[in-house]
Order: sequence, then C-alpha cells, then structure tokens
Amino acid sequence: MKIAKHIVLALCLLGGSSCSSDFLETVPTDAYSETTILSNVENAKSALNGIHRAMYAQYDTQNQAGYSSVMIYNDMLGEDLVNTAQGNGWWIGEYRWQNHRNVNGSSNFHVYRFFYKLISNANMILAQIDDLPGDDATRKQVKGEALAYRGMAHFWLVQFYANRYSASNKSMLGVPLMLTPTTAPQPRATIDQVYQQVLIDLNEAEQLVVPKPNSGYNKSHFTQSSVKGILSRVYLAMEDWSNAALKANEARTAFEGTLMSSTQYKTGFSDAANPEWMWASIMIPDQTVYFYSYFAYMTYNFNSSNIRTNPKAINSTLYGKIAATDVRKWCWEPAPTAENFPLPLTTFLRFPFMNRKFAVKDAGSSVGDIPNMRLSEMYLNEAEAKARAGASAEAQQILHEFVVVRDPAYTKSTATGDALINEIMTHRRVELWGEGFRFTDLKRLNLPLDRENANHSSTITANLMSVPAGDNQWLFLFPQSEVNTNPFVAENQNP
Amino acid sequence: MRRITFLLLCLFIGIGLSAQTRVSGTVFSAEDGQPVIGAAVVVKGTTTGTVTDYDGKFQLTTPAGAKLLVVSFMGMETQEVDVKPTINVRLMPHSESLDEVIVVAFGTVTKEAFTGSAATISSKSIDMRPIANAAKALEGVAAGVQVGMTSGQPGAGPEVRIRGFGSINASNDPLYVVDGVAYAGTLANLNPDDIESITVLKDAASSALYGSRAANGVVVITTKRGKSGRTTFDVKVNQGVSVRGIREYDRVGTMEYVPLQWEAMRNALVTGGASREAASLQASADIMGTKGLNNNPFNVAAGQVMRTDGTLNADASLLYNDFDWNDAISRTGYRGEYNISGSGGTDKADFFFSVGYLDEKGYVIRSDFNRFTARVNANIQPKKWFKAGVNVAGTVSTSTTTTASLDDISSYANPFYFARNIGPIYPIHQHNSDGSYVLDANGNRMYEWDHRGAGASAGRHIIAETQWNDNKNDRNVISTRLYSEVTFLPGLKLTINGGLNIDNLLVGAFENAEVGNGAPSGRSRRDNRKRTELNFNQLLSYNKSFGKHSMDLMAGHESYEYQWERFYGMKQGLVIDGNDELINFTTINSLWSFTDRYTTEGYLFRGNYNFDNRYYLSASYRRDGSSKFAHNVRWGNFWSLGGSWRIDREKFFEAKWVDMLKLRASYGQVGNDAGISYYAWQSLYNISNNGTESGFVQDMSKGNDKLEWESSNSLDIALEFGLFNRRLNGAFEFFDRRSSNLLFSVPLPTSSGVSNQYQNIGSMFNRGIELQLDGDIVRSKNFIWNMNVNATFLKNEITKLPQEEIVSGTKKLMVGKGIYDFWLRTYMGVNDQNGAAIYRYDDARTAAADVAKSYEYKGQMVTEDPNVAKFEYHGSSIPKVYGGLTNTFVYKNLSLSVLMTYGIGGQTYDRGYATLMEGVNSYGSAMHVDMNNRWQQPGDQTNVPRLDASKAVFFSATSSRWLTNSSYLALKNASLSYDLPKSVCRFVDLSAIRVFASGENLFLLSKRRGLNPQESFNGLTNNQYLPSRIGTVGVNVTF
Repeated sequence: MKIAKHIVLALCLLGGSSCSSDFLETVPTDAYSETTILSNVENAKSALNGIHRAMYAQYDTQNQAGYSSVMIYNDMLGEDLVNTAQGNGWWIGEYRWQNHRNVNGSSNFHVYRFFYKLISNANMILAQIDDLPGDDATRKQVKGEALAYRGMAHFWLVQFYANRYSASNKSMLGVPLMLTPTTAPQPRATIDQVYQQVLIDLNEAEQLVVPKPNSGYNKSHFTQSSVKGILSRVYLAMEDWSNAALKANEARTAFEGTLMSSTQYKTGFSDAANPEWMWASIMIPDQTVYFYSYFAYMTYNFNSSNIRTNPKAINSTLYGKIAATDVRKWCWEPAPTAENFPLPLTTFLRFPFMNRKFAVKDAGSSVGDIPNMRLSEMYLNEAEAKARAGASAEAQQILHEFVVVRDPAYTKSTATGDALINEIMTHRRVELWGEGFRFTDLKRLNLPLDRENANHSSTITANLMSVPAGDNQWLFLFPQSEVNTNPFVAENQNP
Repeated sequence: MRRITFLLLCLFIGIGLSAQTRVSGTVFSAEDGQPVIGAAVVVKGTTTGTVTDYDGKFQLTTPAGAKLLVVSFMGMETQEVDVKPTINVRLMPHSESLDEVIVVAFGTVTKEAFTGSAATISSKSIDMRPIANAAKALEGVAAGVQVGMTSGQPGAGPEVRIRGFGSINASNDPLYVVDGVAYAGTLANLNPDDIESITVLKDAASSALYGSRAANGVVVITTKRGKSGRTTFDVKVNQGVSVRGIREYDRVGTMEYVPLQWEAMRNALVTGGASREAASLQASADIMGTKGLNNNPFNVAAGQVMRTDGTLNADASLLYNDFDWNDAISRTGYRGEYNISGSGGTDKADFFFSVGYLDEKGYVIRSDFNRFTARVNANIQPKKWFKAGVNVAGTVSTSTTTTASLDDISSYANPFYFARNIGPIYPIHQHNSDGSYVLDANGNRMYEWDHRGAGASAGRHIIAETQWNDNKNDRNVISTRLYSEVTFLPGLKLTINGGLNIDNLLVGAFENAEVGNGAPSGRSRRDNRKRTELNFNQLLSYNKSFGKHSMDLMAGHESYEYQWERFYGMKQGLVIDGNDELINFTTINSLWSFTDRYTTEGYLFRGNYNFDNRYYLSASYRRDGSSKFAHNVRWGNFWSLGGSWRIDREKFFEAKWVDMLKLRASYGQVGNDAGISYYAWQSLYNISNNGTESGFVQDMSKGNDKLEWESSNSLDIALEFGLFNRRLNGAFEFFDRRSSNLLFSVPLPTSSGVSNQYQNIGSMFNRGIELQLDGDIVRSKNFIWNMNVNATFLKNEITKLPQEEIVSGTKKLMVGKGIYDFWLRTYMGVNDQNGAAIYRYDDARTAAADVAKSYEYKGQMVTEDPNVAKFEYHGSSIPKVYGGLTNTFVYKNLSLSVLMTYGIGGQTYDRGYATLMEGVNSYGSAMHVDMNNRWQQPGDQTNVPRLDASKAVFFSATSSRWLTNSSYLALKNASLSYDLPKSVCRFVDLSAIRVFASGENLFLLSKRRGLNPQESFNGLTNNQYLPSRIGTVGVNVTF
C-alpha cells in the first residue's frame, strides 16, 4: 500500500508540475511592440503605411472616416454644398455650425484627434528614423512622408482651431505644436510659429521624397509634386502669393499626370487611376468603412439612408454661373426627373440641383478611392495667386489652360483685378465642389458666409444663413477631451 | 420535501465492528411531520453512525457503552437522544446551523470556525425561480451584494457588485469560481438546477487565497453531487409566459404630436429673425414635407394639415392608424424548462447526473434562448488513502439576440431605441393615398421606411430588420473538473485539481439587402470566439488536533491560463436569397483572426487554528504573478488575518436566551488585474495595412512597464447572533475596503495622439454597514412565517487621484468625491420671458465674449449657452441604502416565498426621458407627454423650455435637468408551492410531488414610468432590453 501511495503521489506531483519560466510572458498576435516596429527602416516604412491607412480608416462614429470626413466637414460649413433635406440627420449639426462650436461635438473631436493622431505616428518615426538600420533611399522617403504628414496635419489644425493667418492675427494663439512623441501637455503656439513649423516640415519633406512614385507605390504616398501642392495651399493661406504660385506651378509641372478629359470627368471621382489625381487614399474591399464612407454621403447612387433622403446639391446661384458648354454643368441637375436622372431604386428622392459628380463604382458598396489632391487645384492655386499678386496676364493664361479642358468653348478671360479673381474663384468653387475646400477658403480670404438667395432652406440650416467675416464662429472650439487633459488649452479656449 | 445534505458529514462515518446494541428508528421534521431523508445518526464520541433512508428510517448497531446518539441534519437543530432499541426523533428547524459548511477558497470550513464574511444562497432559493442565469438569484438575498438589472434578453445575466466599487477603470466584477476553478464564461452556461449552493465571499479573510483576483469579491458556485445512502431521481417541468416588465414612457399621441413639431419649426424660424406671421405660414407649408416630418398620414394636403395658428386643421383626420411600433416588436414570450436528475452513493462512491432543457422566447420578436445541459459528477474512494472524482458538464445553447445591448444603445437596429423614439405619425406599412394598405404581388402588406423625418430613424425599419436579419449565437461549452487526493500520513494529504473550461461561441449574423446596415447588397458574418481556461492546482494540507487545540495548514500552487481566439469573416453581395452562409456572398469585407493569452501563477499558504471552539484564528498568504505586467513588477503579495470569538461559550456568559454570539474581525490585502488589456504593460502598434501594403499604427493606449497590481485592503468587523432558541438570527457588520494603486486609465492630451495610459494612481474606499436579520415571526405547529431582511449602507469616496480632477462623461472624479458623482451643468429652469433653457453661468469665465452670453435672472447669473454654463456636482448614482426583504410563509404543505428588493437614494441620468424631451433637434422623434408643459408665451412658469428646432441642442444639453431620483421598490419574485401529502406520493409509489408557481419582476415602483432605476450602477440609462415579467407553473416529481 505504501508503495502504491508514493507512486500515485509522485505521479500527481508530476502531473501538476509547475510552470515553465516563460509561462507569464505573453504577446498579442494582432499587434507588435513599439520596439519591433521601430527597429529598422523597412518596419518604419510599415509604420508610415499605417498613417496612410489612418487617412481612410473609420473612427468612433459615422461622421469620422479619417480625412474624407474632414473634407465633407469643410464643405458642410460653406455655402456651395446644399443639404436638400434633413435626411437621417448626419452632418446637419455641422451644416448648422453647431458641432464645431460645441466642445462635445463629435466631428469637432474627430478633426482634432485625427490630425494629432497622424502627427503622433509621424513623430514616432521621426524621433528614430535617422538612427535605424536600413536602406537610405527608403529612409529618406519614409522621413519625408512623415514630415509631410506632420506639416499637413498642423496646417489643417491651425486653420480650424485658430484665427486666419494675417499680419494682425499671427501673434495670436494657434494650436499645440507637437514635434516629439510626448504625452505631456503642450501649450498653444502662436499662429505664426505653427505656420513656420509647417513650412519647415514641408520644405524638408519636399527635399526628401521621390520626384515621381517608385514602382510599387500607389498614390497614397507623397511625391515631390503632392508635397509642393500642400505647400501651395499653405502659402495661399499665408497670402504669400509668389510662393503659392511658385509651388503650385512646380507641383503641376512635376506631376506626371494630365487633366481629365470630359469623359473621365463623368466617371464618379472614386478611382485613383484617374490621371488627374495627385494624392489619394486607396481603399480595397476588405477595408471598407461602410456607412462612414465619403461615398455614403456625397454620391448620388449609393444606397444609404442619407443619400436616398438627402442627396447633396450645389448652391443654385453658383450653378447658374456655369457655362452651358462646360462639362461640369453635367455634375448637377437643376430639375431632376426619372428620365434625366435615373437612380438605383424608387426610394431615392430627387431634389433640384442634386449632384451626380460623385458616384460609387459599385452601387452595392461604399468602397472608393478618396481624391486628396487633384491637378486642377494646382492650376487654380497658381491662377489665384498670380491674380491676387496682380499678374493678370499670367493668371488669365493659366486659367485658360485649365478651363478650356473643361469647357472647349471657353475663351481666355480678359478680366483683371477683382473681376479676374472672382472668375477664378468661381471656377475653383465649381471644380472643387464637395472635395473639402470651401470653409477654409472663406476663412483664409476673410469672407463672410452667405447662403442667402439660393436653394438653402432656413429650416434645414436652422437659420444659419450668414456669418460675418472674422466672427468668433469661424473658430472651432477645442474639444472637451483636450480641455480636460491639457491645462494650457483649458486656460486658453477659443471664444 | 426534498432536503439538502452535505456529504462531508458522511465521510467521517465508518461502520462500527463490535456489535452490542441494535437501534432502529425514524427521523421526522417537527416542521412538517415529514420524514427527514439523509439525517446523520452518530454514536456520540465516535465515528460510528449512519444516515436515514428516503423514509427517514435508520438502523444502527452501537458499540458497547454507547449512551447517546447525535442526530443532525443541515438546517435543523442537532439533537442528542438516549440509546434504546426504537427511537423516533423530531428535529426542529433552525435557519442557521452550527454544522453548516461554507465553501471557501480551496476548500470548505464549518460556519462555526469561519472568521470571514460570506453569504450563502442554497439551491432552495433558486429551485423554483424561472431564471436562466443563476446570477439573478444573488439579488436581494445577501447584504453587501448589489445586482444591476442589465437586460431582459433571454439568457442574459446581471452585473454584480460586492461591497461597492473598488476600481475606476479596471473591472469591478467579482471573480466567479465554479466547482473550485475560476470561470470566465457566462453563468447562463450553467443549469441553475445543477447548483447546490452559491457562496459570496465578501472580505479579505474569505477570499485572500484567490489573491490577485479577489479584490471585487468572489462568487463560489458549487454544483450538486450524490449523497451516500440516498438514491433519487428527480423530474421537474416548468411552463410559463413572459411580458415586458416595465412599461413604456408616456408619449404624446399623433394629434398632439404634429402641433408640437409645428411649433418647434415656427419658433426656430422666429429665432432666425422671421416675423411670427411669416414663420407660421412657412411652418404650416413645410412641417409635413421633406424639410419637416416628411410624412403626411392625414386626409388633407401636406400644406393644409397645420393651420397657421398652430392648431391641427379641423378637417384633418388620419388615413390610417398604423403607428404602434412597440406592439409590433412585442409578443407574449414563452418559457419551458425541463430537468431530470439522478443521484446516489455509498460511503465509497457517489454520483450525480442531470439533463436539462430550457426553451425561452423573449417578449421581443426574434429574441430567444435555448439551452441543453448535461452533467455528471462522480466521486470514488477506492482506498482509505485515495479519493478521486470528476465533474463534467456540457452545454449547447442557441440564442437569437436583439441589439438592445449596452454597446449598441442608440443604433437604428435597437428595437427599444427605435420603437420608443419614432414619432407617432410614421406607419409600419406602406399605405395608398386613400389610407388602404399597399399590397405586394402576393397580397402581403409592405413595410414603409422612406417617408421619415430626420429624427425618425429615416430609412430604417426595426420590424423588417428584426424579421429579415438574423443574429444568432451558437454556443458549445464543456467544463471539466478532475481531482485526486492522497492521504499519505494521518492528517497530511495532497490534492491535485485540474479544471478545463472551453466555451466556443459562433456568432452568425445576416443583414438583409432591403433595409438597414446590410442594404443594398446584403451581408453576412461569422464570428467564432473560443475561450479556453486551463487551471491546475496542487494543495498540500495537514490537520492536527491535540487537547483543546486544533489546527490545519495548507500550502499550494496554482496556475491559470486563459486563451481567447477570434476568427471573423464578413462578406457582402448576397447571391441567392435565403442562404446566409458566407459562400453565398460575393465580396469579402473583413477577414481576420487573432489569439490572446493571459496567464497567472500563484503560491498559496493558509493556517487555521481553533482553541476550544471559542477562539479561532486564520491567516493566509498568496504570491501571484500576472502576464499583464512587465516581468520585473508582475509579482504581488496578498494576505489576510482573521479571528473570531464565540462569546457565548465563555464561562462568564450566562444569558440563556442567547444561543450564539460571535465577534469576528478580519483584515487583509487582495488584488485586481481584471478589465485591462491583456498586454497593458506593452506599447503596441496595431496591424493596419494601407491597401495591400503592410502597415502598423500606434495603439491609442500607451503601454506602461511599471504597471502593477491594483490592491484592496479590507477590514471587516462583525457581530453575529442567534437568539431565543435560534428564532432570531442576524449579523451587524462593518466593512472598510480601501483600494489603492488603482489601475487607472489616465487620459492623455488629445493632442498627444494617444488617448490614455494605464497607471497605478489613485485610492478609493468603500465603507459601509451591513445588516442581516432573519426571524420566525410565527413559528407554530402548522404555520411558519419567516422574514429575512438585509440592508447595506455604502459610502464610496476617492482619496487620491493622478490629477486634481478627471472629467469622464457625466462624472467627475475628485478627491473627496465618489466614483459615480454626477458632474453636470446646473439646469436653472426656463426663462419665463423668452422660454429659453437657462443654466448657471460659469463665473470663472471672464472673457468679454463669454460674459456677453450671461445675464442675471431672478438674482442668479445664468446663460442660455451651455458652452459657458457652470458644471457642478449633483449627487451620486449610488443608493444610500439597498437590500432585500424575503417573506416566507409555510402552512402545512403549502409554502409561499416573496422576495422584494429596494434601493433608497441615488440619482439616475434618465437618457430615455432626455431623448423624448430634447425638443425637436431633428423632426420626427417621439415626445414625452411632459412636453405639454413647455413654455409658450411670456409669463409661463414651467421647467420645460420652448420648442425650437434651432435651439434644441442648447435647450436639451447634458445637465442636471435629466437627473431623477432612483429610489425603487420591486417585487422580484414570488413562489408558491404545494407538496402533495406523503400518502398520495406513496400511493403512486413516488417519494415526493410538488406543484408550484413562480413569477419574476412582478411589480416595480419608481419615480417615472418607463425608467428602469436598476439599469446600471453608474446611473446612466440606455435603450436596453427591459426586464421580462415572467410567470411559470411547474411540477417536480421525486422518485
């Protein structure tokens, strides 16, 4: 008996033997440690790709689909985009200028969190990239693109959360400048400091990134032309016309693509293969963002409640300015009927001036590529900068080069001064409708919002029909999450 | 009557060899005259004895010199009787037995020797209740245990909190232990009928051996096992119905609704600068159209429905009345439960087996729970020195669920959100212009979802989506316990326990191509979630008695491994209708898998000492390591000390009316690592590809390699008593639970690009008093009325924080404040001149632009702009006192038990009400009848601001306006049973027959109709699946 007992005892001890020394070491299978990712240049390139993805990923709520939601937001705040009905309610608070004036606004929070997330991911790369082992050409490109993101993101933030750049404003407070990967709260830098840093980052990026895409890169990656394009946007905002014109010119001449043909213009703005697209987010089917998608709000043919019940229309006054021979006139329908404006299902509503500019490739899916920058904008930036600098002849020429592609009947403008500027701005509004330019254009130019005398319904806008230039309402309020965690911002919230 | 016995007694009973006197007899219950089955009859001072059979009879041969027999049975007074050839014993019941055994960490202890704090719920309290999830049985029956009523979804279980809230960002859930092994799965996997007892370990002394996982208390569930000498077979059938347990909020009807919406539009236009006349004209023109309600159910043209004076056109009548969405999503639920079990045993082996089937259909369409369970528990002792046993349980369940869950509170697919908030002018079906139904080719009515206002879930249809979509959960669970025990020296034994739980859940969801998230192409997903828990422990124990001293010691080692595997795929593009398998779809939307692992390891020691059954001491120590922390900081030490003193056993103590008086105290430290990421210490990059290029993006949570255990130091002092021949029993208990080193999700500046980092900062205490009283108010031959009441007074306070204050949603954490103290704008009512909602102005704002938004109103600085309103504390969601009251009436064979629960004090932020009262943010949302009290003209004194679509966001901002007192009284359960007389049972050759009826959630008294004051601990209501009111009848036959 005793022997049996001891054998059983021994077996028990063996069977229940304690754990090996690495029993308590566990790692995830869907994530990697920071040290693994930032261990060499190749992996750092993947961390950069993560930023490209963040540009079109979905965040908390349906109005938070990366960069494309910022684009929608920028136009929702303007006068050129018209909500034809309340639809299912998405974007109406933004359209009414309520969301960005509400510290708890979800779109407001998205803009802030999204751009700082890009910055943080870029800073992680920038803090270490110089010391990582690996190929130098790749290192240059990764560093350049990270800098481009950091510059672009700060640029967007300062446009929304601070006053416009001007001689009298530039010493006012801008936004926190984040240049290292820190979690310590940072004070609001001045508007000028932010813009100067944006220029430093973008200028360095311009030197580092490849002139033309490497084989294997898609248009989500920066090249010299797209970085120059962002620089031209920055200089426009700074009213530095000569540099704005210069960078826009360099961008369009460096770019290997061409302006779209009239046929290509009618293909829906959802495919990055378009020769005019300079910078894009490219989504594949298993990365769909469902009803968060840009195309779930902006197209005419995706079967979302929002589009069925609230198709987006163009400001009727602006529409009236488009020449009949201009291909862009096709993009909107003043009197849509079943005949002239077929829709996928009878449950889609029709409203005057609704758009067919944006279309999904497949009505069953909201997957599509996002046009972050197109070549036509470079012509418009350059023409505008030249015109504002007084170089009317050059401006007329550049404008003509571009518009004649859209409207073969177009004859070169003879206007000068404000008349020429207005003509350019009208083409800009028509050309870039829905692509995220209007609010920041109004703000940088110190223009009022004016939705009167067009097809805006005061019921849907909740009477937000006009806002004077320079009003506090042009400032986004810092979101509550930042106020709660950053004492510098809490003390200096926008009025 | 079925009795509960514990086998442990029997283990000490051997068979005497030196035969002297043959004794036989019967043991009866004095309570009901029925034979007592399984009572122990032992010769005093020996281990010689037996147990009674199913007729209450026993036979025993006593050794020479034996004078007294000790007859005992769980739940009854032990009696000593003289040895004589024939003995009839009548045992008196008592509610607290001295021999009662409490299941504690890694073993059992007699209640007498127990120095900690615990509450035990026996199978008796679960037996008849129509609950699929045993956690529901914890409500109201034990002091210190707070149960939230989370969901009425069949099979869903409630959240449980023991002695308050020990953690702010980590988990507050207690540890569940089933048959000695930690259990991470839902308790719905267990057949409540298999449960012998549930013990709630509340203090450090009772739970410290679970060390790192015990900070929030431990719920120990023990399943049934066979009893020596008693072979039974049990059949129980239960049938019932269920309906919604809480009625809907009072909402305005169609004819009141349209003028209210019109008024909101008119006022918005006036606010925008239009004249009242022009605004009225425009509102009448627009209200029914696409800019407004976007549906006209009246027989007059859209522009004619509302007159410009704000009244409904007298000629307007409804073309149809097809607006009762609540009715359309509801049905009468059904509940059927079938259980059979068998058990038996000898002194060398015992067994228990059971099979159960539950079929529950919720009162919301397409919500159900089907469960098949089986269990075998077998134990053997082939040698005196060797014991082994196995307890294997399998569960197969399928459940169709709605999305009315916590994480989906306001989605269009949530039936409660949808039906509650859709305006009463939107029909379920399509109608022709004459009001008749539109019929499809087959003559069926067609659903309508396109003519909706923006606030009326435009484009969605809860009935169609619920019927056409599918959301089912297929679960297979196997749970195994295996142990062997070797006694290799007297008093010294080694026990090896192994436990394996595998919970395999396949969530299959289909969303149709017509309407909802699946439109326009239809989509389907499969989400396989597999949880594997593997637990091993080795325990070496030694006990020894000498003279008046007795002691036992234990040392052990435990390892625990938790693995979580997900496999997820989703495709869209339905090919052929009616087949939701993924292969029937064209395009992959999502396809991924991952595996998480979490491990812990611990070394444990315990010592108990008892002197003369008067003084008891216990001490325990455990050292634990967790994989959630970095290797140099992952080990933590946990310990406890406890003592108790039986005052009544002192010589000086002479009060005869006191049967028991015990003072006990314990102190100890336990830990917590639950509820945070499995890899909390690591800074991670998540896989996030850019198209087809490999990509990684920073996790929003920053790692912290200094992160370590959250700990909880708790003190417990109690006085327990039994008086007047055990007629009145009770306990007063004081506890002080101090949590420190809190695992705090410290919010980081949004501008840092990451959102939070776990840090060990912060301290908090939960301090309180528990009262438990149990008394027989009437105790006569045929009638017993027992009342059991408990109350818990709880105070929660933060004593240390990582930063001065942390605002989190509707709460603000600050030293000196509680975890659930509301931090809200102060609602000051309505400006009686313009009807605007006014809030207290934040006087810290001195900028001119802000000051311009404030004005003085009736002596106070107020503002109409919530962005400059002042935030202040407005009470807590934690009730001042909560508890339960159970009344049990027994008249002969008839028994009625009534459980009521209550909470007094505390606030609820009633989001359901707030949504119905938000005014008109977008047209088409339903409204509460309180909207009839809105401000309409200067001078109106009211608390409800004017309706104004352009101001609704401001007027309905998050504020103290939406707080409601959460005091409540609920009739949780009433169970009535009748045991057929033994003569009848005997006639049909059965041991016992019982018929019974039971009801759940029978009645609720709360401040506002529609409000579920128990919905959440943090005081926020959501649009959840409201609890069911269930009524069942059943019969239980014992062979």
